[in-house]
Amino acid sequence: MSDRVKSERRLGWLLCAPAAIAMLAVTAYPIGYAIVLSLQQVDLRFPDEGGWVGLQNYGAVLSSGLWWTDLFNTVFLSVISVSIELCLGMAIALVMHRAIFGRGLVRTSVLIPYGIVTVVAAFSWQFAFAPDTGFVNHLPFIADDKDWFGERFSAFSVIIMAEVWKTTPFMALLLLAGLTTIDDGLYDAAKVDGASAWQRFTRITLPLMKPAILVALLFRTLDAFRIFDTIFIMTNGAQDTQSVSILGYQQLISRLNLGLGSAVSVLIFICVLVIAVFFVRVLGARQPEGSR
Amino acid sequence: MEHTAREKALWTICLTLVLIFALIPVLWIISLSFKTPATITDQSFIPTEFSFDNYKSLFEGGISESPFIKPLINSLGIALITTFISIILASFAAYAIARLDFPGRSVMLAGALAIAMFPPISTVGPLFDMWRSLGLYDTWPGLIIPYLTFSLPLAIYTLVAFFREIPWDLEKAAQVDGATPFQAFTKVIVPLAAPGMFTAAILVFIFAWNDFLFAISLTSSDASRTVPAALAFFTGDSTFTQPTGSIAAAAVLVTVPIIIFVLLFQRRIVAGLTSGAVKG
Amino acid sequence: MERRRRVRLIALACAGIIGAAAIVGCGGDEGGPVSLKWFIAIQPGGSIQKVAQTCSEESGGKYDIDLELLPTDASQQREQLVRRLGAEDSSIDLIGMDVVWTAEFANAGWIRKWSGPDAKQVTKGVFKPVIETASYEGDLYGAPFNSNTQLLWYRKDLVPKPPKTWDEMVRMAEKLGPEDGGQIQLQSNKYEGFTVWANAMIESAGTQILSGPEEVDLAQGPTEKALASMGLMANSSAAAPNLTTSDEDTSRLGFEAGAAFMVNYTFAYGSAKENAPDVAKNMGAARYPGIEPNRESKPPLGGFNLGISSYSKHADLAFDAAKCLTSEKQQLTVTKLDGLAPARSGLYDTKIVKDAFPGFADLVRESIETAGPRPVTPAYQDVSLAIQDALHPPTKIDPDDPGPAYDELKDKVEQGVKREGLL
Repeated sequence: MSDRVKSERRLGWLLCAPAAIAMLAVTAYPIGYAIVLSLQQVDLRFPDEGGWVGLQNYGAVLSSGLWWTDLFNTVFLSVISVSIELCLGMAIALVMHRAIFGRGLVRTSVLIPYGIVTVVAAFSWQFAFAPDTGFVNHLPFIADDKDWFGERFSAFSVIIMAEVWKTTPFMALLLLAGLTTIDDGLYDAAKVDGASAWQRFTRITLPLMKPAILVALLFRTLDAFRIFDTIFIMTNGAQDTQSVSILGYQQLISRLNLGLGSAVSVLIFICVLVIAVFFVRVLGARQPEGSR
Repeated sequence: MEHTAREKALWTICLTLVLIFALIPVLWIISLSFKTPATITDQSFIPTEFSFDNYKSLFEGGISESPFIKPLINSLGIALITTFISIILASFAAYAIARLDFPGRSVMLAGALAIAMFPPISTVGPLFDMWRSLGLYDTWPGLIIPYLTFSLPLAIYTLVAFFREIPWDLEKAAQVDGATPFQAFTKVIVPLAAPGMFTAAILVFIFAWNDFLFAISLTSSDASRTVPAALAFFTGDSTFTQPTGSIAAAAVLVTVPIIIFVLLFQRRIVAGLTSGAVKG
Repeated sequence: MERRRRVRLIALACAGIIGAAAIVGCGGDEGGPVSLKWFIAIQPGGSIQKVAQTCSEESGGKYDIDLELLPTDASQQREQLVRRLGAEDSSIDLIGMDVVWTAEFANAGWIRKWSGPDAKQVTKGVFKPVIETASYEGDLYGAPFNSNTQLLWYRKDLVPKPPKTWDEMVRMAEKLGPEDGGQIQLQSNKYEGFTVWANAMIESAGTQILSGPEEVDLAQGPTEKALASMGLMANSSAAAPNLTTSDEDTSRLGFEAGAAFMVNYTFAYGSAKENAPDVAKNMGAARYPGIEPNRESKPPLGGFNLGISSYSKHADLAFDAAKCLTSEKQQLTVTKLDGLAPARSGLYDTKIVKDAFPGFADLVRESIETAGPRPVTPAYQDVSLAIQDALHPPTKIDPDDPGPAYDELKDKVEQGVKREGLL
């Protein structure tokens, strides 16, 4: 190995080190610490108590109906909102790709939700649907006194709507990037062969876009799985609309029960790992670098 | 290609739908922010009476008593510092990844990707416990550190994508033409790299500006509370009244500048979001 | 400790990264009056600022009270405080404690005991239930600052005679019909306000949630009666359409928009006077409804007590400040500016209180005197969450068969008191 190669290596490591440390300091170390805490009884309101309790905290979480309800809620919200986002995002991407005029206008308007603080968007939708301030109940075909947040599935529908609104742009832009890599010649050839627009979409567009779609799905699914802001503002978990992140927050911050809360944190981490492995191994999503 | 009138009509409809969908919540919160207390529950989409009272109330009492000014300063300061540090660290790493050949390159990229997927709630408890024993609880660094962590993957991916496109040979060419290495770097490479860094900076800033979970978990006073957290804690006219109007006004104030910013730099943002393909 | 050391190391690494960015505000000591930091929920009328200023001036340069205002939502106030106290933060001197926090704070060792003449001074003439909320295991931990209670508000033009019980109120409202204001407004979102309601119902039925910090009471007969009334109320046509998301503010708005009945704190009167003068003209106040006609109700009890942080560096001065802030004179200032009920019963004959509660000052006094405080336990937060978990939404309680709801409530509260499992 020449000195040049050696020094290049050293420089590479040196340049990466600060970023690597900054990233690990607040992820790897805390997750390790969370595992340690989750095996102990730690309740800051009872400073004199404490000690190792083994897997007891995990037992308490996994045997609680609340955990499973909240896990169901989170998975339900993720699956529904990501599915809608995918369809809508694909439609917007196609529209932008085949724009006749006003492409810039679409891109502009689509970027607005991206720029808005999630909490602000959540407040806006909440005020819009609230029976006392909102304009929604004033619209035709909607009961004037409908209490959208008073029932589980109507509350879910507003939450999903807010999430879809906020994150579809990101999905659309990722898909648009995938679309632009497809050679137009393929479409012309298919047209000559008499393929319908739908056939062109399913036979050419979709297969060629599979990598881009999978990457977009992976990111959005994991992102949706951590849903916190919107629910916190809109219902704060009432009407059984709690997500696992809210559940963790409640144990950690409201109850200061760090032991139990850390067990929830670790379980959420494991869920995320499972989802990521599922996408990468089963569906074959590749690192974005590979798809470029 | 010629378009028929029908195609154009259809397209116009699509365009309008997308526009309405994207703009409704923004217009709604703006409308709410101008309503008076008497008309705030009138449920009309367009205010019937205009007033700036909600905005005035945000700034009443100056820095010490206003519920909004300090959080705004915190938000700006924390987001800017995060952006600054994040871009510097990410530039180092991205340069190494894009230009140098060393083992661990792909580990670094994969690691960054893993961090991008990491659930923040899993770190909130341990961070809270660490911060309180370190005195970082409810301070600016207490928020900047986690923001840095979670924004670095975004910044690294965006920058790697940009740096790979830079024709680095120009640097050598400039040196051949008699420029010193420093001149070659500042006159040739920096201008080429700047757009990418600027793009990454916008994305990181929006990320830090947007965060809510860390902001409510790791702060407890105006010393470091940022706007999203402050919004959730606004107070109304009496202990039990909802401060809808002030929330709306504050929401508009933190939203409009970002929207203008996003619109001004939309090409960059789109390029950044799609090149890195990392969530923003 | 090993854990601490490792944490420190990481911190050093972090600090290195942040480097110059670390800007931590920090005031220097420059003599003059000692600055005392008072954490308390903000009051819109400015009374907190006023009493802090007055007491600072009266101290003759000994101390200066600095305010750190907390959000209005009680759960959020508590979250902010306990996080700081859990961190042993010495920047807190005085704490405005909601009446239900005393046990938790005292048990954790976050606040100091009041004793001797100081304790006597701050509890002189204070309502008994209020003193109970400021005490834990026989010791006083807070100086009562203000009190609060809920009344039954009704429309005199629609209701000739206010109902005595919830069931009667439901019948009256149903008879009026939804078109003519036949609606009852209350606080039934899943939050602390729901616990307030459930507790008042259970207390009014003649039992209590806890009989000691870790002992669940909940006698079956009375509790089931209370639950049946909650179920009847929630499933009645008189329930507001937004019942399961209602809070103090939405019920006030509902009443101002024409509902005939509402249970709410005293702020509702001032609000109606300002926003719906026509409603305010016909607004009657009566005692909080009970469960059985022959048993007096036990209205909810709110308010704040002042605690002295164990981590305060100026505890002596903080005790002095708390004595001043809770004095009769300052309590009246708070009543005058923000309409909050004083904690001392003697003050209810003053003009200031009578003006703040026109025609219902005695009713407020009586309600506080006979109020049913929420459970006193260090695990209060868990118990409150457990109650919400078990009984929310109240529409699921079957008024004809409250048994299942009772079983769930008892199970959950037992779990809560022991702080077990997820909540």
